Amino acid sequence: MDQAVDGLMYQMELKNVSKEYNQSEQSMPAIQDVSFGLDRGEFACIVGPSGCGKSTLLKMAAGLDKPTSGEIRFCGEPVRGPHPKISMVFQSFALFPWRTVAGNVEYGLEVQGVPKFQRVDSVRKYLEMVGLAGYGHLYPKQLSGGMRQRVGIARALAVEPEVILMDEAFSAIDEFTAETLREEVAEIHADTEKTFVLVTHNLIEAVELADKIIVLSSRPARVKQILGINLERPRDRTHSEFIQTHKSIFAFLKEELENTIVRRRIRRIPEFEKLSDIEAQS
Amino acid sequence: MSIFLTWEITVRVGFVPEGRLPSFTSTVLALASSLLDADFLALVAQSFLNLTAGILAALAFAMPLALFAGLRSKFDTAVTPLIMLAGALPDIALLPILVLWIGPGNVAAVSIAAFSAFFPIYFTIREGTKDIPSDLFHVAAVFNTSRINTFLKLILPAVSPQLFTGLRLAYDFVWEIVLAIEIFSGVTGVGSYIAGAVEAGGVTDAFAAILAVGMMAIAVDRLIFGRAERWIRRWMD
Repeated sequence: MDQAVDGLMYQMELKNVSKEYNQSEQSMPAIQDVSFGLDRGEFACIVGPSGCGKSTLLKMAAGLDKPTSGEIRFCGEPVRGPHPKISMVFQSFALFPWRTVAGNVEYGLEVQGVPKFQRVDSVRKYLEMVGLAGYGHLYPKQLSGGMRQRVGIARALAVEPEVILMDEAFSAIDEFTAETLREEVAEIHADTEKTFVLVTHNLIEAVELADKIIVLSSRPARVKQILGINLERPRDRTHSEFIQTHKSIFAFLKEELENTIVRRRIRRIPEFEKLSDIEAQS
Repeated sequence: MSIFLTWEITVRVGFVPEGRLPSFTSTVLALASSLLDADFLALVAQSFLNLTAGILAALAFAMPLALFAGLRSKFDTAVTPLIMLAGALPDIALLPILVLWIGPGNVAAVSIAAFSAFFPIYFTIREGTKDIPSDLFHVAAVFNTSRINTFLKLILPAVSPQLFTGLRLAYDFVWEIVLAIEIFSGVTGVGSYIAGAVEAGGVTDAFAAILAVGMMAIAVDRLIFGRAERWIRRWMD
């Protein structure tokens, strides 16, 4: 029993997670046999070729989607749906436009039934944490993209989660703003000691933020590599080890991408179809 | 302003006989006396009541269907074509049949009003529901929002702009339907008053009534929908 030894137990664990989509008659695996564990307070980044199913993986971790087989565990318990200690930040920010900044931040607490006076305190605390003190009365449309994502982060933090899942959280923001926001998220991570999981296609971002990088293959997504990054924080992009790590992941993903293109080309030739079928069965 | 002046001069000079087109001043005078007449006001109120009842009835039917169609595409593909077909039927032409079934009266008027109001309300709400970004539903799910709260705190505010657009369209459109019913089938209301006035040779009174209805329509539009629009504009892009 892995629960027996508390010290060795991962806070969050994916065990042989697979996801298939039943499109037409044949089912196409999107994620195949993905396993990895996350320690409390770890900053993990999931990288992989675009369209490989990274976001689906994150959605399953959030309890928004169910794996076809395998299991996701949080503190030893299987995740069967959204968990109050697991929160999420979205690429599209996903703020409610009819709610003010404060209204968005308090949303999670509100639907949990937390009384108003307590919500006011958390809203103030977390808006301050993301550098938006005094912006509570504005509507999302009055804010820039970077500021909207700050609201998204404050909303995720306000429910006092232990794990924060971020789906391409910096991808819809202009690079300059994104850079500042990354630094702030790294600070929040250091201060709060919460577990962060960021799905990204930006390798520099991953190397800059992560304690652990999980590299996925192209569709169907499998774990290809799990890298621990032990560079000193705040990280220096010009540090040789930073560059080396980035280079090696980049080379791997490039190779992976080229392989897929070749495979797709082969698939178009009927004779090779049987061959790839045999390959898939073995 | 120049329209009223042209109107006044045309009649005064005698291009059009007074019996056919009353002068602007006499219309305004008639309007003023109508607005002080309790019987006339009661008729306007009756028409307005028929209209409001029709729209609310349409809303009660259209809203749940439209939300469901917007959220469940299978239901949408099954039901929406039928609704489109029904919407293509000419509303006014259904009137004689309805009067035959349930008799001339307010029930017939309200039914036709509801029928006409159903379609703009249905289609706008359906569109609005379809347009809700799926990430907003993910947010609701991540924070474990109950079904009732998903409706109250997500779906309802998200579709509110389209809901008000639909109601506003229905309101403008159904006023005319209600008047037509009253004029042609004798259902009591401003329409029947106008028809009666024209028949009795009181064109001035008819004009006054038409003006009164127009003014009221504008007032309601400003008061109710204008406010709703201001609220929506505060947060919508």
